[in-house]
Amino acid sequence: MGRINWRKYGLLIFSLPVVVLLFCASAFSSFLAPYDPYYLDVMYMLEGPSSGHLFGTDELGRDVLSRTIYASQISIVVGLIAVAIGMTGGTVIGITAAYFGGLIDNLLMRLMDILFSFPAILLAVILMASLGTSILNAMLAIGIIFIPGFARLTRAVTQTVQRQQYLEAAICIGVSGPRLIWREILPNVFGPVVVEAAVAFSYAVLLESALSFLGLGAQPPEPSWGNMINTGRGFIEQAPWISLAPGMALFLCVFSFNILGDGLRDLLDPKLNK
Amino acid sequence: MIRLILIRLLTFVPTVIVASMVLFVAVNVVPGSASKAALGIYATPQAVKRFEHQHGLDRPLVIQYVEWAGKAVRGNFGMSFQNAVAVGPEVKKRLPVTLQLAGMAFLVAVGLAISLGALAGFYHQRLPDVCITSIATLFGSVPNFWLATLLIYLFSLHLGWLPTGGYVPYSEDLVANLRGMILPSIALGVVSSGLLIRIMRTSLIEVMSAHFIETAQSKGISNFNLVIRHALRNALIPFLTVSAVEFGFLVGGVVILEDVFRIPGIGSLVLVGIINRDYPVLLAAAMVITMIVLVTNLLVDLLATMIDPRQVRARN
Repeated sequence: MGRINWRKYGLLIFSLPVVVLLFCASAFSSFLAPYDPYYLDVMYMLEGPSSGHLFGTDELGRDVLSRTIYASQISIVVGLIAVAIGMTGGTVIGITAAYFGGLIDNLLMRLMDILFSFPAILLAVILMASLGTSILNAMLAIGIIFIPGFARLTRAVTQTVQRQQYLEAAICIGVSGPRLIWREILPNVFGPVVVEAAVAFSYAVLLESALSFLGLGAQPPEPSWGNMINTGRGFIEQAPWISLAPGMALFLCVFSFNILGDGLRDLLDPKLNK
Repeated sequence: MIRLILIRLLTFVPTVIVASMVLFVAVNVVPGSASKAALGIYATPQAVKRFEHQHGLDRPLVIQYVEWAGKAVRGNFGMSFQNAVAVGPEVKKRLPVTLQLAGMAFLVAVGLAISLGALAGFYHQRLPDVCITSIATLFGSVPNFWLATLLIYLFSLHLGWLPTGGYVPYSEDLVANLRGMILPSIALGVVSSGLLIRIMRTSLIEVMSAHFIETAQSKGISNFNLVIRHALRNALIPFLTVSAVEFGFLVGGVVILEDVFRIPGIGSLVLVGIINRDYPVLLAAAMVITMIVLVTNLLVDLLATMIDPRQVRARN
């Protein structure tokens, strides 16, 4: 058995188990959660961690662990869809800008620059206020925020590809338009976009919980890490565990997806393969 | 160089105009939502019509924007829907609070980044580097509102060292003012330091491989002096530009942390605007935060041009 190349795979080995765990937690919540996340047990309000309730119960006697597990569903779904919106929108804009160049490129990218300079959370909060608070709108608002980042990235990669000889060769044999983009440019864009998507996902989860924390995302009683932390804040003195479990879950999720992004970058970076 | 500065100044105006348009559209993206929001869903059509006419909301969006922008330039952000109070003075009153919080948080972030980043860069690929790089990723992944909750639990409730929130103007009591600002600026600054530590590290590693560092080493200079007097100075220039972008991110975090710590700044005004469905207030607060970000970016670009015109020319 050969030695594991830690420099190349180390970060992936650390992050993948947590990522898999998260996806399992959201896919099989009903099997994994020991209790119904909505079940109110007035006999056990604000109970500390015990063998019956591993992470204690909240102010309405609901099991914190079960709610934390169910809350991963919202985070994962919002993350996936928001990243998909940002990735699709950004890739289309980025490739369009690089492909046509000139005035179109200039106009699109200046607009992206300006969108990029807004603080993300501010834009998300405003969009939520005008679109209305719902999980669907949260996905849309967060997705829009990611468009400029993906657009800049794909534009840069496309411009690099455009300077390559194989693209010239493809143009010479008469490939053009959609086929050129689909066959020659998109495969090259794929790698960097996946790396960006992992980091964007962690950021989407963070933004969703920030919105829910402020009461603009998932609405109670639906459990979300953000609104659980917010509830726990009010009972922090008597019951610190209410905000501890969802906080840890959120932190682990963001942390492991950040590392996953770094790990994928190491894997796709040809300089490290030597 | 003067040409570069002039170009940068000239592009600033259209940037501000487009940014304000984006905000205006984002707030008014659903037609008629402002009046419905202000009057509630049970408002009669007549009441909605009267309200819209009274506030000029029944006119085309373009005209509304031009009128709003024309007044906003002179610091007049219109009247609050909620209590018919002028929004401008309220914003002016809250601005110094937010600037103080953002400034202090930025100091925390930059202080951590320069010290830890330089240390990691100096011990490139050795144990301190590995530890600090991991810590940087850790810092960058902590949700700031959760960190704030933990800090309040530990330092305010458990140890009783610092207040749980609230704000005392510095003109009233400087010590109380600073004590109240410590936890929010740590919660805000630590999260931003994650990225900055990495940038500082990379930038120092690059500088350390330069020839003039070898020259300095061959003179027999101590490691401490080498980093402080020769390497750090050169590493700071690329760091400066990134830290300005990070400052923008940090200013956005003010919206959440001012709410957690009950600080009456611009960030909490954004939330007041949302909760009361008070669009003039929301728009004014959002515009001021955006202006803080845009002006910082402008200043740092100008500063970077003056320090090292080569870089800016290379970037454009």
